[in-house]
Amino acid sequence: MNDWQRKSPLDWETYVNKMVKVAAIEKHEYEGWVLTVDPVSASIVLATFLENEEVSISVVLGHAVQEVEILKEGDDEMKQRLSCIFAPEESKAYSP
Amino acid sequence: ASPRFQALLGGQMTAQAVRANLRQRYLRGLGAARGRPTRFYLRAGVQVDAVFGAADVDAVAFQVDALRTPLGVQAAALLRYTDVLAYTFLLE
Repeated sequence: MNDWQRKSPLDWETYVNKMVKVAAIEKHEYEGWVLTVDPVSASIVLATFLENEEVSISVVLGHAVQEVEILKEGDDEMKQRLSCIFAPEESKAYSP
Repeated sequence: ASPRFQALLGGQMTAQAVRANLRQRYLRGLGAARGRPTRFYLRAGVQVDAVFGAADVDAVAFQVDALRTPLGVQAAALLRYTDVLAYTFLLE
């Protein structure tokens, strides 16, 4: 188990809705907004907004995570945007 | 946690509630990945493309369909968690 996997859910939660840079083993690096951290596998789910309204989701598995650096805090608009990504259809904000 | 549960705790989210919230988001993410073309980054710089199927509860393996390998396309396959470093897919 690495240091990242040993963290508690309260620690992982501090990364949610923040832009981070994840350094993984074998010199892989990933950047994106943290949607969640799976408390079972410690995997980090990152979202990156592309042009044409597409969202790229990257999941870095907990065992491969070496370091997570916070680059930017998310504002309320970003939090709202992130919370909608995986929300079930019926709970999406109503816009007539 | 429901508003009622939070009120009961006096606005204090317990570690358990935080954990449940993180897990729920992760499971919704797995649901969103299902059926999407996904690129898996494996050890030693190997990358493979497949259609995401499912993940098991104990974080042991991913089930994928149409796994593209140098020997051809496997209709269904399991990828071990320990062999996968990361995976990415697109939501439109």
